[in-house]
Amino acid sequence: MKSLFAFIKKEWIESVRSGKFIYIVILFILFGIMSPAIAKLTPWMMELKADSLAEAGLIVTEVSVDALTSWTQYFKNIPIGLIAFVLIYSNIFTKEYQSQSLVLVFTKGLSRYKVVLAKSAMMLLLWTLGYYFCFAITYIYNSYFWDNTIAHNLLPAVVYWWLFGVWVISLIVLFSVILKNNTGVLLGTGGAVLTVYLAGLLPKLREYMPTMLMDTSSLLSDATGAGSYMKAVIVTGVLSVVFVAASVPVMNKREI
Amino acid sequence: MDMLTITNLKKRFGDKEVLCGLNLSVPSNSVFGFVGRNGAGKTTTMKAVLGLLKPDDGQIFVSGKKVVWGQTETNQYIGYLPDVPEFYSYMTPFEYLIFCGEICGMKKSDIKERSTKLLSLVGLENENHRIKGFSRGMKQRLGIAQALLSRPKLLICDEPTSALDPEGRKEILDILVAVKEETTVLFSTHILSDVEHICEEVAFLNEGKIVMQGKVSEIRNIRSSKEFTLEVINREDTKKLMDNFKDIRHTEENTLVFSGEENKVFDVLRYVYENKISIQKMERIEPSLEDVFLEVMKK
Repeated sequence: MKSLFAFIKKEWIESVRSGKFIYIVILFILFGIMSPAIAKLTPWMMELKADSLAEAGLIVTEVSVDALTSWTQYFKNIPIGLIAFVLIYSNIFTKEYQSQSLVLVFTKGLSRYKVVLAKSAMMLLLWTLGYYFCFAITYIYNSYFWDNTIAHNLLPAVVYWWLFGVWVISLIVLFSVILKNNTGVLLGTGGAVLTVYLAGLLPKLREYMPTMLMDTSSLLSDATGAGSYMKAVIVTGVLSVVFVAASVPVMNKREI
Repeated sequence: MDMLTITNLKKRFGDKEVLCGLNLSVPSNSVFGFVGRNGAGKTTTMKAVLGLLKPDDGQIFVSGKKVVWGQTETNQYIGYLPDVPEFYSYMTPFEYLIFCGEICGMKKSDIKERSTKLLSLVGLENENHRIKGFSRGMKQRLGIAQALLSRPKLLICDEPTSALDPEGRKEILDILVAVKEETTVLFSTHILSDVEHICEEVAFLNEGKIVMQGKVSEIRNIRSSKEFTLEVINREDTKKLMDNFKDIRHTEENTLVFSGEENKVFDVLRYVYENKISIQKMERIEPSLEDVFLEVMKK
């Protein structure tokens, strides 16, 4: 246990000293501020564009924005945040394979599963911190400007999207123990998400697919209840655990 | 008792058979030289001992315990210094040693005490900068410190001196000699003078097999030299000597190398005396490990 914490601590120092942690913090602060800011600026922008739109035959009447506009924007921003997170952390294993820095760690007798667990835990922690920090910023602004109660099922929607991010992290872990380089991990993770997304287009499969958790608009407008996402939530949760657990035997038999 | 025993170790990479039935035993508390050309299979053998590579066949025992690939239980007895040790460059040497101690499960107070001691042993006690800016020699020295941290029974060093300048090499060799009391050292290299300096035992690896193993002093004497050099003052004399004797080589300006039995020495001396040839020096050529190595490799 002590050695696991030592490795987690090392991952933390690495995140901080390599600047990755700061990138994540800045990124999620920006996204947190951006959602309400864009919502707030929309009427003003429409007014600016009113003349040119009028020429095109469109008449801009009063544009009303509320917390829902901001939350819709939030869920449009978060995928970009997740992609940035994946780009920043996809080399968390492969960098160590290339630099051979794990050689000394393993020859000291550290069990390999602890490396998998420590790296997974660190990504989970940073994703959770960044994501909910971003959420908190948007929430505070939204409640200052408008009324958050207008958005239905806000908490489930936010948690579901977070869970989707957790699943993507488990994909990074799985592809990192199988493949050797960063590009492979990115392509594998991206490819897996795309495959699941395409499979989700089939109506029969849709409700089981992790990608369903990204579709929050019907939740917010209360068109569907939070309960209808349960199958996707269970599948995503189970897959995330399975992917990380499956990474351990693969890592154990990997030549370093 | 042997600290390390390897029997019939085989490893193939694609078509290339790197190790073909390697047998090796390293006695406890010795400095053991593991010699071979580049690409002979030294690193592959060491990685198999550390459980980092899966051997195709054969068994490895460290301190009597079997090495299982992927599971690194036997690594608690081993300290390892790779040829190019890679650390976490954003840490300071002290931080890195603390990290190593923690993943080995050492006690907190012991880690601090041992780290401080080892950093001063390798001369890095005043380096508070991050490892990022370290020279190769400094990294090798830190590598030795981390390898010795948990008081291993076996210290494996993979070509620790190959990439260093003469000063750095000497520093590393001195450190290895100093730690001999505490641990068994297995030390791979292709620099034979390093082996002659610090090793008691040596094994020669060629084409994936051990072709010779034994005490350095004994191996050196296997090939007792039948050669001696003669350096004359005047260059013209070398010509005279060459005309009169067989089995003779002109190596430098005024130097000749003779080979032959003991009587040849007296013949040459008689000729020198009779012809009044002024000589600078006459010397028997000491057999070196390198000669033995080259001869063994040729077979």
